[in-house]
Amino acid sequence: MRVDVTDRAREVVERAGRARPGTLTVTIGTGCCESTAPFLYEDFWPGPDQEPVGTVGDVVVYAPDYVRALYPGDESVTLDVIDELAESLSIETEFGCRLVLRGPRTDSATEPDACPVPAAGPARVVTGSLPEALRGLRIR
Amino acid sequence: MADYQLFIDGEYVDAASGDTFATYEPATGQKLADVAKADREDTQRAIGAARKAFDEGPWPKMSGAERAAKLNKVADLIEAKAEKLSELEARDGGGTIKKAMFADIPGGVSAFRWFARCAEEQPDRVDLEGTPFPPSSNYKRYEPQGVTTGIIPWNFPFIMAAWKIAPSLAAGNCAVIKPASFTSITALALGEIFQEADIPAGVVNIVAGPGGTVGEELASNPLVDKTAFTGSTEVGRRIMQLASGTVKPVTLELGGKSANIVLDDADLDLAAGAVLFGTFLHNGQVCESGTRALVHRSILDEFVALLVERAQKIVIGDPLDFTTDLGPLVSRGQVETVERYVKLGRDEVGEPVVGGSKPTGLADGLDTEAFFQPTIFTGVDNKAKIAQEEIFGPVLCVIPYDTDDEAVAIANDSIYGLAGGVQSTNIERAQSIADRMRTGTVWVNDYHLIDPQRPFGGYKQSGIGRELGVEGYNVYRQVKHVHTNPGGTRDNYIHFSALSGEI
Repeated sequence: MRVDVTDRAREVVERAGRARPGTLTVTIGTGCCESTAPFLYEDFWPGPDQEPVGTVGDVVVYAPDYVRALYPGDESVTLDVIDELAESLSIETEFGCRLVLRGPRTDSATEPDACPVPAAGPARVVTGSLPEALRGLRIR
Repeated sequence: MADYQLFIDGEYVDAASGDTFATYEPATGQKLADVAKADREDTQRAIGAARKAFDEGPWPKMSGAERAAKLNKVADLIEAKAEKLSELEARDGGGTIKKAMFADIPGGVSAFRWFARCAEEQPDRVDLEGTPFPPSSNYKRYEPQGVTTGIIPWNFPFIMAAWKIAPSLAAGNCAVIKPASFTSITALALGEIFQEADIPAGVVNIVAGPGGTVGEELASNPLVDKTAFTGSTEVGRRIMQLASGTVKPVTLELGGKSANIVLDDADLDLAAGAVLFGTFLHNGQVCESGTRALVHRSILDEFVALLVERAQKIVIGDPLDFTTDLGPLVSRGQVETVERYVKLGRDEVGEPVVGGSKPTGLADGLDTEAFFQPTIFTGVDNKAKIAQEEIFGPVLCVIPYDTDDEAVAIANDSIYGLAGGVQSTNIERAQSIADRMRTGTVWVNDYHLIDPQRPFGGYKQSGIGRELGVEGYNVYRQVKHVHTNPGGTRDNYIHFSALSGEI
């Protein structure tokens, strides 16, 4: 597994390094609402199945066996940043952005700009009603 | 002032810093509200309020019946506000209004009612029969943990808040909850309901803000006695590390890549419904989604054709329209994640048999970039990335198999063990397979049905402990053993014999 890093991701990790006194680590983890994603932690203990797969400056990037097996050899992912609200306990969420994984050899500086959000339309309201068959039912 | 403020010590307040963050309607990309953005100071204040309410306030001293009455009042108030809360939930997270009204809001109500029942019916004290140390007597006493914290994900914000708050309060604890930043407003709206239900100040506190600070504080603060989290496996690991500093118990409900096994004797019409519902409910943004359909090779072609035909009939559109089946994903970023996996799927497996891109023809004003079509790949090898990694989007992998043993082996070949399904007309055979699946829940001829009375949680890297059920109540309680020697003569004391009788 190889990890490429965009300039913006490098800047965010460096900013976190200035904000936190401890040792920073990026770990690529899995699951639930994050899917497979990078997490930037302070004083993190890599698990026994996690091994270094790259660096961002002085910060080591780890990935568990499970993820490394899915990206064998020189197969790569790119560490990038999106300016969006984010969950997780990853440090950069303090800065209003989130580290993300992209496909190989992505350079966000050369990506086409995202489509603009459509102009606000007329106020939307709830339309219709709960189907009769669902009334009184619940799945939770 | 923020549109939605933090709820600390029984009052709505802005963040100490005055900072806010915007929350958007994913369906349109338009701003919905400004939310107060907590930092460490706000979080510590919320934890302090909960600590004081637990150590000095009336809540933990109330009887179970008294707490139950308050929690049932909360449930009544949620029911009374169900339409308003459902609309907020649909606008904020992009889930459909239909789902909000038959899953999210009634699910919150049922959680408060179930844990109210636990508070009333589960004994605080159990006298123990017999003793090896006569004439002593013994009893077990169940007590609240103290201050509990909960960190909840963006996919089911209201119900997840209920799952963290209701058992905590029922058991006599005081709670601090952090909703997800994408979808924080219905959890914050609960504060008003707690005020109306006369829940004492400080018993529930709700703080929205970045996980890097607020979440870290909730998991590590020494004044916290227990923490619970629903979300990614990697964050679960981190929470365990942070909680270990003061040896806090944790409950974790983490990722999944659940298998829904379709046996060769299945009724294909019914099984196709279970597979489509199991995968595409809420765009697959559900931790227990059955995103791996294991289909017996003898029925593969016929079954896939049925899936394709029906998937094309799923209605994508405005989540506020009751005829819509699928709204947007939670954010454009989530759509990018799904697109990345669909590209990986094309590289590893080939073209999807249906879907694979953003929809066209949506109504004016909807943000096409936030939507994605139900997508099905067939002939997938279970070792493929799209079969192993949790995509958290509307992507189904159909994986063929030849024998029941092979189906079980493929189902269990995952780091996760949250849930699964078996579709068959032979209940005995289906249950025999269910019993061999290493997951916390298995649905036979159904999917996604979760009742607060039944435990829910994962094996392997899908989590620790259980939410819901009596099990999900007891994780919010400590158990104490009290041994009582009635006294009297020295003959009643073993220690005189053990220490030469001269002490």
